[in-house]
Amino acid sequence: MLAIDAHDVTKTFKSGWLRPTRTAALRGVSLTVPRGTIVGLLGPNGAGKTTLLSILATLLTPDSGSVRVLGHDVVRDAARLRRRLNMASGRPSFLWSLRVGEIVAFYGRLYGLSGSKLRRRVDELIELCELGANRRTPYSELSTGLKQRVALAKSLVNDPELLFLDEPTLGLDPDVSVRVRRHIADLRSQRGITIVLTTHYMREADELCDEIAFIKAGRILARGTPAELKRRIRLGDVIALRLDPPAVPWLGEAPGVLRCRAVDGWVECTVDGAEKRLPDLLRALSAEGIAVRNVRVREPELEDVFVELAR
Amino acid sequence: MSWRAELLAVWAVVVRNALMASRNVFFFFELLFWPIVGVLSIGLMTRFLHLTPAQASFVLIGTIALSIVNVCQLEVAYAVLLDVWSKSLKHQFLAPIGIRHLTLGSWLVGMARGGVLFLLLAALGWWAFDFRVLAPGWLPVAVFLLGCFLNAWIVGVFVCALIALFGNRAEAFAWASVNLVLVLAGLYYPVSVLPEPVATVAAAIPLTYFLDAYRAHFGFAPEFHAPIATGLALSVVYAALAHWCFFAAIQRARRTGLLLKMSE
Repeated sequence: MLAIDAHDVTKTFKSGWLRPTRTAALRGVSLTVPRGTIVGLLGPNGAGKTTLLSILATLLTPDSGSVRVLGHDVVRDAARLRRRLNMASGRPSFLWSLRVGEIVAFYGRLYGLSGSKLRRRVDELIELCELGANRRTPYSELSTGLKQRVALAKSLVNDPELLFLDEPTLGLDPDVSVRVRRHIADLRSQRGITIVLTTHYMREADELCDEIAFIKAGRILARGTPAELKRRIRLGDVIALRLDPPAVPWLGEAPGVLRCRAVDGWVECTVDGAEKRLPDLLRALSAEGIAVRNVRVREPELEDVFVELAR
Repeated sequence: MSWRAELLAVWAVVVRNALMASRNVFFFFELLFWPIVGVLSIGLMTRFLHLTPAQASFVLIGTIALSIVNVCQLEVAYAVLLDVWSKSLKHQFLAPIGIRHLTLGSWLVGMARGGVLFLLLAALGWWAFDFRVLAPGWLPVAVFLLGCFLNAWIVGVFVCALIALFGNRAEAFAWASVNLVLVLAGLYYPVSVLPEPVATVAAAIPLTYFLDAYRAHFGFAPEFHAPIATGLALSVVYAALAHWCFFAAIQRARRTGLLLKMSE
């Protein structure tokens, strides 16, 4: 069962009255998301991630293409669809003088909750998002982290089947980010919510997402599990060496070495296979009288994939 | 959508607007300061000009109508303005809420504020100038207030449409629009004194008819035939038009991305 089934979606923004300019934000994007999965949309700034998310969430209408979310057409059946999804963004904004509990209750009422049901739901979300101490604090007086937690609480008020998270941990302290990520993972594992998130943090995507779609200039360039993407992009393994002397000009030309770069006193060599190339490299360095002080081998990270694709 | 869900969505907006109003320092100025200053200054001017009690009542009815329509219209415009100011518009339109819930909820709060203001100004007019605005009885008063509130709803919804169409740039219109309508509606003078093309425009404004009908209870000959029926009929037409404009403007904002821009 698919939560999202989008084909050839395009969106162009026009700006200016006298000399209008057109910016193509999406150029034929197709995306399918199975129910109960977490899918990450990654890409550089201006790639079209938020535009795609906004179309899927019915906030923006596509110029062309077909988009079905939870079986509903996002244009023709938007009103019914809105009951079943929700969204939280990393730069949340709510009415500044409303208090935390009032904000959650306001959105609860919009989704049809009232009386004791509404009170229970607000209490539950305040507890889930650790907002108990700030329940009566006006929104304008909250820190960035607390504002994001309010956004998360609001996004869960209708117990959505599909949740869109736009940069959910943007600007948060590391400990808070860890807790928010745990919440997100729990939402999927405990409630079976389908989640589509955009993020700039590769670690977050690697940790949370079942699948990742890389978007650049309005197109999806690659799609797969984090492991698949690392394999498919063929970045090779990374052998990091601490050498004495540190500069070895011929290393980049050695057999099987794709490229070399110096990083914080280490020489990082990307090779086509670490198991095969490491013994040869160590032998060659030893023959040249170069001392190897330390060696580390790692698989390519999602960040390497991102850098490669964003190039 | 069930009736219960419809009412809850309207109630959500009522609670939100009421909470925001209760924590807004400008609320005091909107509700009390400017309307009281208006009634006092116009009332004193009637004394200075030695207007007859009938003439003074003519002018004071206009002043009170201005205050009520202004307060109620602003509250309707807050349906969108509050979210534009706090950049939370996208959350509102992501929820299953229609513009009818937004405008109706805001209008109910606007009517409550307008009703309180009317009673305050009635007491002030009676105490300061011996002007008894409630004298015609509860039914004419109710019809007069309904006319004021309907006009406020129409202007407020048009302002919402303009904001959804042009963004923050249209905000100034929220504060100025009602005055333009009220000048043409014969606030301090009979519509018959207006030059012909302007009088035709005045005849297209519903408030003109409700003022005309209410002033008839103070001894002024009606300028229009069946003013209440005409005012109500015109109000229905404009209300439908304003609603359609707001709906179309939101649809356009979803197409152009303005809805998102106003939330960032």
